[in-house]
Amino acid sequence: MPNLLEVRDLSKRFTSAGGPFRKARSMHAVNGVSFDLASGRVIGVVGESGCGKSTLARLILRLIEPSGGRVNFDGDDLLAKTSAEMRKLRARMQMVFQDPYSAIDPRYTLSRAVAEPFEVQGVKPARPMADEVAELLEMVGLNPGLSTSYPHQISGGQKQRVGIARALALRPSLLVLDEPTASLDVSVQAQIIGLLEDLRADLGLTYLFISHDLSLVKYFCDEILVMYLGRVVEALPDTKAPARHPYTKTLMESTFEPDPKKRRLIAPLEGEVPSPFDLPPGCAFADRCPQASALCRTETPELSSKTGHAVACHHPL
Amino acid sequence: MLNVRDLGVAFGVVQPLSGVSFSVSQGETLGIVGESGSGKSLTAMSVMGLLPLIGGRITDGSIEFDGADITALPERAYRKLRGGKIGLITQNPMTSLDPLKKIGPQVDDVAKLHLGLSNADARARTIDILGTLRIPEPALICDRYPHQMSGGMKQRIVIAMALAADPDLLIADEPTTALDVTVQAQIIRLLDDLVKERNLALVLITHDMSVVAQTCDKIVVMYAGRAVEQGPVEEIFDRPRHPYTQALIACIPRGLDDATRLTGIAGTVPTVLNYPKGCPFHPRCPKAEAICATDAPDFSVVGESAAACHFAEVAHAEPA
Repeated sequence: MPNLLEVRDLSKRFTSAGGPFRKARSMHAVNGVSFDLASGRVIGVVGESGCGKSTLARLILRLIEPSGGRVNFDGDDLLAKTSAEMRKLRARMQMVFQDPYSAIDPRYTLSRAVAEPFEVQGVKPARPMADEVAELLEMVGLNPGLSTSYPHQISGGQKQRVGIARALALRPSLLVLDEPTASLDVSVQAQIIGLLEDLRADLGLTYLFISHDLSLVKYFCDEILVMYLGRVVEALPDTKAPARHPYTKTLMESTFEPDPKKRRLIAPLEGEVPSPFDLPPGCAFADRCPQASALCRTETPELSSKTGHAVACHHPL
Repeated sequence: MLNVRDLGVAFGVVQPLSGVSFSVSQGETLGIVGESGSGKSLTAMSVMGLLPLIGGRITDGSIEFDGADITALPERAYRKLRGGKIGLITQNPMTSLDPLKKIGPQVDDVAKLHLGLSNADARARTIDILGTLRIPEPALICDRYPHQMSGGMKQRIVIAMALAADPDLLIADEPTTALDVTVQAQIIRLLDDLVKERNLALVLITHDMSVVAQTCDKIVVMYAGRAVEQGPVEEIFDRPRHPYTQALIACIPRGLDDATRLTGIAGTVPTVLNYPKGCPFHPRCPKAEAICATDAPDFSVVGESAAACHFAEVAHAEPA
């Protein structure tokens, strides 16, 4: 399969304004991220809060401007596009947001919410809009009879379905899913994940799936990128690959099995994620890493792959 | 230590909680699991005697703590218990900490109020507790404000406050929901150690079946304001007998097992205003029959576990 998305050395630096009592500071929210996403595949991006995974999602769709790097979507260099060209392209690359409550205008009926993408893009569907909306609602498992309802009349899971219907309206090839189930109950999360799997099979979609939940990512994705403080520290080529980066290992060990017979002795990772504003030199994980050496505190390890399983660590497992 | 029998709670004419019974002993962890709106937090508030604050009242059943009936305890007496013999850990540490007050005095106050310690003794105790919670440089931390600390550290401070008066029972309401997984693992380990070292009784309220599987000795599964199944944790996970418990376990993504596909539970969790008649789960239940829509099932007990389902016995006979 050809690559639908190619990301090279993508970076974003945020700077906080200085003032009379503080210096201006800057941080790398996303730092030199590169990966390829083949058409029809699902890549999961996993990491803890503040690791830059949501910023990465927004950079790829150019909802915020990168500080450096390149994004190729289906052969187009996105960063060379004007904002009008970008808007056209976004019909083919859509995003589903974490919070379905704020993603839909509370004053819109569901049919207007689902029709909004056509309006924004100035596209007239081939058939009457009402039919188009009804089909989209059915596609995401909602009763078309709900089209005259308002967001406050439906549940969180139904709202997320509306969010997905909006994203699908213009028949995109890439969906960026930013924690689409994080605010939902587990029974509803499972419904939404099942729906996303069906849609992927039926419509041949490609997903970039952002999540903090490693078991969900392992269940849902083909490949996994593990992020820590703005960098990809490991790219797992499949979901069964054992962790090679100590951070990935910790992450895996911190995720409990839903089986009382598989209790684990938790050896807690001491310490906390350092502030992204004053990162120590070298590997950002060194202070919490059991195998850190002097080298780790001076030199930042590059993401390198000899076996197709890339890891950014001086002493991989 | 804690014995809740047939608890029912009402707000005006709505009855969001009914027929909830469970007990916890010293050195034991009880998990109360359920989705949002299942009544698990309300159960915690009932035990803490906080219902009057939100306009609710206990209409049925009894709550016994350390051998004494505390169901209708007056507020003045409850105040001694709450934060004293019963400690509470909430989901969001920011709602338990005063943002304008340094950490030290906030923890000191608990020991001063409940144990009558002097300022100096209370501070010594605070530093000692912070140390046992593996907080680095406890004496320095006492001079910090909550906003200067990370989420995981704030949650440890809340745990320190809950421990300050040497409680016998801890109630933890979603203590790790707001935290990252590596921090969650730290806090869960900490709670586990505390239960063992101090012989505490812990009631852990959560929506996360994996956390329950990792830590609890026994569990109560709640749905729509009722306990639908309860028993020892291994029994419930190995042989769930209520269709809701079975579905809930099937909803958990398991990374390494490709064979099972997630489908979720059709429909949505009912709100208190539209609790179904009969068995509360029947509209979403794949095994429901006519009787489920009319008669609320009683608990049927098999061995140590009990399920409130008309067909619980049958389900048990089938291979899982």
